[in-house]
Amino acid sequence: MKRYALILTLIAALAAGFGCAKKSADAAYDDGLTPEMRAAIQQITDARVYFAFDKFDIKPEYKDMLKTKADLMKRYSAIRVRIEGNCDERGTQEYNLALGERRARAAYEYLVTLGVNPGQLEMISYGKENPSVQGSGETVWAKNRRDDFRVVAH
Amino acid sequence: MKKIILLSTLCLFFSTAATAAMRVDIYGPGQNIVNLALAAPVTGPQAEAVSMGRDLQQLVEQNLSFLPFMRLTNPRNVLGGTVLMGYEPPSLDFKRFQLAGADILVTCYWPGGDSGTTSVQMRAFETNTGGRIFGKEYARVSAKELPEVADRFCADLLEALTGSGAFFRSTLAFVRKTGTMSADVWLVKPTGRNLTQITNIPGEALSPAWSPDGRFVVFSHIDQKSHALGVWDSGSKKVQRIRFPGNVVIGPAFMPDNKVAVALSNGKYPVIFLLNHVFQKERVLEQGDSINVSPTFDSAGAKMAFTSSRLGGPQIFLKDLRTGATTRVSKNGGYNTEANLSPDGTLVVYSRMTDYGHRIFVQDMITGVERQITYGPGSDEQPSFCADSYFIAFASTRGSGRGVYLTTRHGGEPKQVPTGGGQASFPRWSAPVK
Repeated sequence: MKRYALILTLIAALAAGFGCAKKSADAAYDDGLTPEMRAAIQQITDARVYFAFDKFDIKPEYKDMLKTKADLMKRYSAIRVRIEGNCDERGTQEYNLALGERRARAAYEYLVTLGVNPGQLEMISYGKENPSVQGSGETVWAKNRRDDFRVVAH
Repeated sequence: MKKIILLSTLCLFFSTAATAAMRVDIYGPGQNIVNLALAAPVTGPQAEAVSMGRDLQQLVEQNLSFLPFMRLTNPRNVLGGTVLMGYEPPSLDFKRFQLAGADILVTCYWPGGDSGTTSVQMRAFETNTGGRIFGKEYARVSAKELPEVADRFCADLLEALTGSGAFFRSTLAFVRKTGTMSADVWLVKPTGRNLTQITNIPGEALSPAWSPDGRFVVFSHIDQKSHALGVWDSGSKKVQRIRFPGNVVIGPAFMPDNKVAVALSNGKYPVIFLLNHVFQKERVLEQGDSINVSPTFDSAGAKMAFTSSRLGGPQIFLKDLRTGATTRVSKNGGYNTEANLSPDGTLVVYSRMTDYGHRIFVQDMITGVERQITYGPGSDEQPSFCADSYFIAFASTRGSGRGVYLTTRHGGEPKQVPTGGGQASFPRWSAPVK
């Protein structure tokens, strides 16, 4: 009798374990986002702003993209975004840290001008320490002179 | 370091009256070459010291090879050999060394033999006159202390010849990169000895700088979320990470009174702040509607060189901290950064972007003449003056990967500092420690 009771207890424990595992897997897959919000986050993070060498002004072709980001952030006020300013490998490290900050700030200021709550934004400069593409040459450098937009809370 | 203190240095019976007038002018434009011969170390007349004596000789030779103005005489060129009857006049035969072209003869005498714990006497003579340039006894020497003895002797000799032994008395702080956004601060003697890692924190350390008293190394630290000022305390061996309001902490540097200047965010552009002794903002040193970063000071704290984009691209400026007057230093090229002011305040060294990578230039603040001192290949960056205002350490990609190299204010042949592999950059000199 005792043996049966032990087997039954083990089966019950395993079943409960499977249940928990499935639940957490579902939670990881689900993460509480609606499809619309997930699409909004993707739109905010996917599109980058690129800059000319040693410049930090927002080129006209990126203004519509930033407006889209601003609209989405205004719609989903729980979204918090970190703007990460980056540079190519040609400049020197300390100056590039300052330039990266100016690039992040340029996007920050534009988004705030478009009505985004400053509390939804933060900034950091990685200078040339975090290239998105490895290598040399203008094609590579152009891809590394950028602002990345990372959703850090939603 | 405690060993150094224990390693008592005696010069009682080497009276200073015998010090010869020979001086090597390493600062003037016509820097002279000095030929130096090392007599074989001896324990008595014609008795060569083949144990610690030979090891110390090799360490001294390695050290002296870092001095671009010094040429070691090949012992094979010395007729009759380098094993001598004695270690000071009249038992020294200067002629054979003169014939081999030596200007200076160094003797090394181990009165109690050269094994176990003993003492060694080292002397330098001018071969022309036989006059003594320098002489000291290093006591309580064992095999473990030989590198320290070599450094101390070379520092003493260099000081006797040039007026400054800072090169052998200083330690370089530098950054070793181990991956994307991952780098720590290390220390090493300019000769490659005493390699030590002092930080081990996630993220990337940049721009280390020594406090004048040698107690602290400060640095910028970046992780995924923030910039901070890293502070390593040599007493506790601990690292603090101090955050500030704003987004950047760039290029800290110490002033002579042990206060730190650093570029921090303050509105639209980074501003150079002076921090107080507990690393809080004290006052603004430089600001404007442009990027202002990378402060560097002379040893009096009267002048500050820095990088500014006030005229468009980054250029080097010099501010007189007493009058507030600011003048432009770099007048050629569109991208000049990473200034380092010589401790004597007469030179500014900086890197310039060229079509072939960055190159290092020195601007003489008295004559206004600019001179290129490195020529690649690769990129030469982050120059830093030694306390003697003569040696310059810099980072370069000329070898395999990025390494730390030494040159001089005259552009002496660059020599790599052994830093134990990896990507080494941001060399910064400590003040000399006697």
